Formats: sequence, structure tokens, C-alpha cells
Amino acid sequence: MADLFHNLILGFGVALSLTNLMLCLIGALVGTLVGVLPGIGTIATVAMLLPITFGLPPVGALIMLAGIYYGAQYGGSTTSILVNIPGEATSVVTTLDGFQMAKQGRAGPALAIAAIGSFIAGCAATVLIAVLGAPMTKIALSFGPAEYFSLMVLGLIFAVVLAKGSVLKAIAMIVFGILLSMVGADIETGASRMSFNIPELADGLEFATVAMGVFGFAEIIRNLDTGAEMDRDLVQQKITGLMPTKKDMLDSLPAIFRGTVLGSILGILPGGGAVIASFAAYTFEKRISRNPEKFGRGAIEGVAAPESANNAAAQTSFIPLLTLGIPPNAVMALMVGAMTIHGIVPGPQVMQKQPDLVWGMIVNLPLVGIWVRLLRVPYRLMFPSIVVFCAIGIYSINNSPVDVILAGAFGLVGYWLIKHEFEPAPLLLGMVLGRLMEENLRRAMLISRGDWTVFLTRPLSAALMAAAAALLVLAVLPTLRRKRDEVFVEG
Amino acid sequence: MSDTPTARPRQSILPGWVRGPQDFIGGLVLVAIALLALWASRDLQGMHGFTFGPGTAPRMFAVLLLGLGAAITITGIVSDGARFPHYSWRGPLFVMLAIVFFALAIRPLGLVVAGFASFLISALGTPETRWAETIIVGVCLTIGCALLFPYVLGLPMPLFPSFMVR
Repeated sequence: MADLFHNLILGFGVALSLTNLMLCLIGALVGTLVGVLPGIGTIATVAMLLPITFGLPPVGALIMLAGIYYGAQYGGSTTSILVNIPGEATSVVTTLDGFQMAKQGRAGPALAIAAIGSFIAGCAATVLIAVLGAPMTKIALSFGPAEYFSLMVLGLIFAVVLAKGSVLKAIAMIVFGILLSMVGADIETGASRMSFNIPELADGLEFATVAMGVFGFAEIIRNLDTGAEMDRDLVQQKITGLMPTKKDMLDSLPAIFRGTVLGSILGILPGGGAVIASFAAYTFEKRISRNPEKFGRGAIEGVAAPESANNAAAQTSFIPLLTLGIPPNAVMALMVGAMTIHGIVPGPQVMQKQPDLVWGMIVNLPLVGIWVRLLRVPYRLMFPSIVVFCAIGIYSINNSPVDVILAGAFGLVGYWLIKHEFEPAPLLLGMVLGRLMEENLRRAMLISRGDWTVFLTRPLSAALMAAAAALLVLAVLPTLRRKRDEVFVEG
Repeated sequence: MSDTPTARPRQSILPGWVRGPQDFIGGLVLVAIALLALWASRDLQGMHGFTFGPGTAPRMFAVLLLGLGAAITITGIVSDGARFPHYSWRGPLFVMLAIVFFALAIRPLGLVVAGFASFLISALGTPETRWAETIIVGVCLTIGCALLFPYVLGLPMPLFPSFMVR
């Protein structure tokens, strides 16, 4: 217990140092700035802004990146509420009631509740990370290569279940991602694999390059398809009255609390817990509400619950990353990439730098007016700027022109994927986990002397594999499929 | 929508028994990717006793992708699915041109020229571009980036054409 408080105090101490606080604020601001631009999700924002942290010391860079992450997420919520375009999957549910509130001229309270809910949830989840960090690390010690492999299989299956559309296509995307991760030097022998004698490929494909291509460039090209003047159902009236009323607060506080609890639990699951968390929190609120017919017509609980849930989940999703070193979703995967670039090994010590991040949310509130104005920038001016900014960003990662061309090529790949309704998120997750999976698979086989049953004879590994198999069966079963589709239709 | 003459009838390329062209083609391309991966890893060493060689895992996953791609193709034959998607050429072409130009020009010509030029090239990607405002925004963005990346962020990159600096 004493340890816990020590950690927290230390964490807040580091966080509250003026420089770090500033970095976090700047990160959150820039993150929101880019995050509210239509068609740029959280992953693309983090990938795009990655290079601007290169000049900083490691801790500062990490703090700024996390600030960017939260800022981008808040930017996504802002567009959900104001223009009915969710920035990413986790804020899809927010559009249901948030946009209705905005239509009724209550965009201010909706945005405020989203920020307040996120802030409360973020703080609570941070404490949870500190509490669970030590015991989780102990569990991590009992993980051998076989368990790691099984856990990653479970995480990938989760990603499949959560992806929209065909299960078959989602699995294919994961396998494609894993194959992409194998390009470059072999971990054990150093043999050059599938690199077609291109020297830039010898070290493997840079994750940020692929992410920027598949999410950034592809999204731009796709948006151009429908005409640059996107059909943006913009809230034209001025936003008045930012602060929620006392009744709003009383209505939403219990929802925030329930969303936080639900989000914290679901966030620990690998494979995109934040998405389920926001859907689950919304459904839960609707079910226990005394007047469920309010939902979908601008109920403030419908904004408060999912927004706090996805933030709590975003926080607790750091747990598998920090204790086991396994990124649970594509954004976390990018964070790992960033940490590696800065020479930080993901581990418990990183957790202590978490508390400050939530402060970034607060600064965003008074600036809502600016974000709204930003939404009015016409797309015909925005997209060339994004193209140039991305190109410079990719070039600066390795000072390599070939990386820029590769990102462009992956932009085309991403455009093709979108056209054929393949989800790019499982591809990225597969690519990130691929290297770790292969490493652990090879180690497990070596230790078991080539015995494939090792994944089923070690109890922990068997349990994880069974869970993965059960999930996959459930996802394919017709009844659950229908339910899953309903959830997405509702979104 | 404003580009690409849509006179060409849809679905004319594929035979009638393909009921879900989107999945059919999508699956075929995945099969092709898997075959490419198999071909690219053909000279890598495979299993060595019970140890994995460098080629084992790539071949394993390539075969898996081959199977999945084939399954998706079959889905496109046996069940009704979405039509072949509509591709436009203008957006992809000019955005890609801008990216490639940037990659080729950044070393010899520097950030200012490469950035501004690729801004203009990508602006060609839509017919809605109004040139006066585009040029003004382009100049501002170029100046902003020229200050932001090398000076504020301290990332080394050439600003001006190398023949001018010398």
C-alpha cells in the first residue's frame, strides 16, 4: 500500500514538473488540432505527429505522445458531437446522443460532459494501473513463450470479433499483417527475408510508414473520391453556454461512474477493449435508465457513459502493454514503436508517467470555439496540407526518401483495402504482433523440442487458447453475428 | 464523382457466375500476395530438425493467407455480394505523384521547393481547387514547415536546393 502511494506521488511529481506539463498540454492541443480534421482518426494523428517528438528527451517525448493520443481522442469526440463524424471506432456511440444534443443547441454541455467524464475516468483508471501494476507484473513472470503466443492469438481473435463485416476477411487481414512483419532480417539467423534486395527493406518495414500509408494517405484518397467538398452536416449556430447545468451534472455523474468501472475492466482485455467498452457502457445505460426512450434523442447520459468508458479503457489498455509488453491495439502499437525509437523499453516504470496525461484533457475545453472554426476549413485546402505534412513526417523518421515512397505505396494498398471492405486495423495489429508472435512461437517450439502440443498442455496457455477458440466460434455463430451487426448498425 | 467517365458498363469484365465481384477480386489479390510471399521466401532455409529456419514462419503464414484468400474468392462465387467497387483515378494519381515527387526532390531540392511543389501537385487531385487561395495557403504551409521541422523540432533536413547553398 505504501508503495502504491509512493508511486502515485512520484508519478504526479514527475507529471507536475512544469516542462512535462507544458509538453503534455502542447501535445493535447496539437493532437486535438489534427484529430478534429475530418477523416483523420486517432491512429493517423499519432503516426503523423510522431516525428515532432523526436527532438525531445525520452520521458518528455512519451508524455507529449500520450498528450497527443488523448487530444486526438478528444478531437474524435468533438467531431462526433458537432458534425456527426466519429473520429474513430471508440467515439462512434457518442454520435448517437452527442449530435442530437448539438442539434438542440446544447453542443457546449455535450462537449463539456465528454471532457469531464474523460477526466474523471482517466484519473480513476490511472489509480487502477498503479494498483494492478505490481500484481500483473508477477503474473507476467509466469508467462513462458507458449503463454505469450497464446495470449497474442487471443488478442488477435478479439480484434477479429470486433472488426466490422466478414470474420474471414478480418482473419485474412491479420495474416497479411503478420506476413508484412516478417519482411527484413530474420531475428535469429539475420537472413534477409522477402526484401527483394532493396536495402531499405533489410531492416523490415517501419510500422509508422505502413500506418501513415494505410490510415493517412488512403483516407485522403478515399475522401477525394466523394468529392473534396465533403457532405458535412455542420452545426452552424454559435455555441453558447459551455458549462453544463446542475441538472446535467447530476444526471451524468452516475453514468460517468458506471462507464468508468465498465471501461476499466474491459480495457484490460487485449484486442481493442476501448471499442467494446464504449458500446457496452451505452447499452448498459440505456438498459438501466428509467426512461430509455430519451436515448438517441439527446440524453446526456448517452454522451457521458461511453466517453468515460472509452477513456478508462484507453488508460487500462496500457496494462497489458506495460506488464507483458504486448500492445493491445493499433494505437498502443504505435506507442511501442515510438518508445523503441526513443530507446524506452515498455515496462512498469513507464506507468508512473501516466498521471499527468489526463490534465491534457482539461485545456481543451475553453478552446472548443477554435475547433469548431477549424472544422469549417474546406477540404480542398486541407488535404494537400495533410499530404505534405505526412510526407515530411515520414521522411524525418529515418531521413529516407524510400520510406516516403513506401508509405505512398501503402496508401494505394489501403485505398484498395477500403474499396474491397477489408479492415485496415487488424492488419496493423497483425503487423505489430507478428514479430513478437514469431519469436515466441520459435522459442516455444525450441523449448518443447518440436512438440506442437505444448500450447495445449501448459495450463495457462491452454486456457488462453480455449478462450480464443470459444470467441472465434461465438463470432461465427449466426445468432451472435446478428447481434454484433445490430450493435454496429446502431452505431 | 466529377472525374472518370462512367460510360463503361459495370461488371462487364467478370463472367456471370461471379456473384460477389468485390469479394472475388479481393480474394484473388490476397492469393496473389501469398504466392508472391512464397516466391520471395523460396530460397530461405526451412525446418532444421525441430528448430524453425528463417523461412519456416513466412511460408507457414503465406500458406495460411493463400487458404484464406481462396476461401474469400469462393465466397464471391457462391454467395451474392457487393459489386465491383468504383475506382476514380484523379485523386490517387495526383496524391501519389505528389508523394513520389517529394521523395525524389527532398534531397536535391530541399524542403521549401519539394514541399511547395508537392502541395500544388496534390491540389490537382480535385477539380474544386481554386488556385489563388491554394497558392496562398501553400506558401504559408511551406514557410510554417520550414520553420517547424528544422528549427523548432531540430530535425536535420535540407531547406534549399543544394546548388544554391554551395
